[in-house]
Amino acid sequence: MIGPGAGPAARLEVRGLSKAYGGHPALRGVDLTIEPGQIVCLLGHNGAGKTTLVSVVCGLRRADAGTVRVDGIDALAHPARARRRIGLVPQELGLYGALRVRDNLRLFAELAGLHGRVRDRRIAEVAQALGLTPLLDRRAGTLSGGEKRRAHTAMALVHRPLLLLLDEPTTGSDVETRAALLTLVQRLADEGAGICYSTHYLPEVEALGGGVVILEEGRVIARGGVAELVAAHAQPLVELLFEGPAPDLGPGFSCDVVSRDGPRLRLGAPDPARTVTTALAALGVEAGRLRGIDILRPSLESAYLALTGRRFETAAGDSAP
Amino acid sequence: MSGLEPIRRTLALARHELALLLTDLEPVIVLIAMPIAMIAFLQPVYHSMLAGLGHRHATGAQQTVPGMIVMFAFFLVGYVGFNFFREHSRNTWERLRASPARPLEIIAGKILPVLLMGAFQMAVLAGVGRALFGFDPQAGWAAFALVGASYLLCLAGLGVALVGVCRTSQQVNAFANLGAILGAGLGGALVPVALLPGWVHAVAPAVPTYWAMRGFESVVLGGGAGEMWPSVLVLLAFTAGFVALAATTLRFAETKQGWE
Repeated sequence: MIGPGAGPAARLEVRGLSKAYGGHPALRGVDLTIEPGQIVCLLGHNGAGKTTLVSVVCGLRRADAGTVRVDGIDALAHPARARRRIGLVPQELGLYGALRVRDNLRLFAELAGLHGRVRDRRIAEVAQALGLTPLLDRRAGTLSGGEKRRAHTAMALVHRPLLLLLDEPTTGSDVETRAALLTLVQRLADEGAGICYSTHYLPEVEALGGGVVILEEGRVIARGGVAELVAAHAQPLVELLFEGPAPDLGPGFSCDVVSRDGPRLRLGAPDPARTVTTALAALGVEAGRLRGIDILRPSLESAYLALTGRRFETAAGDSAP
Repeated sequence: MSGLEPIRRTLALARHELALLLTDLEPVIVLIAMPIAMIAFLQPVYHSMLAGLGHRHATGAQQTVPGMIVMFAFFLVGYVGFNFFREHSRNTWERLRASPARPLEIIAGKILPVLLMGAFQMAVLAGVGRALFGFDPQAGWAAFALVGASYLLCLAGLGVALVGVCRTSQQVNAFANLGAILGAGLGGALVPVALLPGWVHAVAPAVPTYWAMRGFESVVLGGGAGEMWPSVLVLLAFTAGFVALAATTLRFAETKQGWE
């Protein structure tokens, strides 16, 4: 078992959380609850407020307004107590490369109050769960990228946190590491941890199968399960990709224009074949700039698009503030 | 939670920092070997110099050993600063802050190994001075250690204050290196202040190195341990000043720029 040990139920309760950087609002009255065993994926494009939310919850940034309770503890009033229950996996890899993997894990185990045999057992457990056992006595700086990512994650898990905050944890990971992390996250939730998983990859959200919270300009604009969001917001779309900016086809154009984003024109398409035919007929001379046609079935991606007006992959690779 | 937990976390951080220090020992060796070489080179010169100042039985080590200790211990200011700035370049600073460790524990954990290193450096220089150059503090080794400890605390406080004031590792490096040379010159670590120009006499009390040298002189050449107290108290006052500066300038949430 590498998940939470005995103790009060793990959960996160955020109410009315606001935070601004120099007058620019990053969070505007965010509410979020994560129950024990629940996985909540945070979605949003660059600047939506995902990283700020994670930072405020674990005490790295001060909130301007609102409350944060971790396992029932007021995390804004008692950040050190709350942090004993939190495991943070930051987006950027952070390891002590000159020291062994074991020494990296040991520091964070001891800071969480684990010593002696208990500490050593937890190190062995987390190493086994992440396939790090043969690497424990290697210097962290000599590991491959995927191994470093796993060691980086293990540092946040070694004390069995009740609340695990993962900020884009698979950025730059290979397929094997990504799969191992998703399996582990699922397992930790099964063992009772609350998981807040910020990501840029929709397939991960669908694989984890938890709740979804979509942030846009610091506000929660939608929340629910994947199927729930798809049913409520997604529709089939036809996306036309042009060379240069997508054309404005005028008020007489009979299709439902969902968004125009640079070279992409997205049309609501209850009957995709008919929408394609209608659109091609309406393009006229603009058809010469057409470079691709894509049909987007109802999915989390099309729900995200309907809610934000932006395709999700346009955010991939960006970093949130 | 046990009341000992803050101490245990501080010791865990200190041991971790010491382990990092031990992975790169060459600079530490240089900080010990170089002053030993300088003591050997300069001792004959200082023998004559001290005789000229009325210390007829002095071997020269009474100036060179404290002088080199004061000068080369000052480089530890940079070590304190780098211990913080490296956390930023490794991307470990925020995860350290997100741990249960409190800010004071993190600061203490980063200072303790440097104090240990400074104590080791002083012990080796004084030991070599005694074994090879006849260095023997008249007021006793305990008094010598007390002055040394006061000076090290002062340097550690300055190091933390620099972390608050500086944005980059390069700035810390510049302050530490220039401070060591300038402080050694003004404080009388290279040449006794009595032999320096008159304007230096007015300026010297403004630097901690002067009070460290004065404290060491009172222990090494003076009449008794009691003469060292003013220097020890001034060094502790400097420490308090640096701590106050650190308290007003050090922002844990601020991102610093480590070595590129």
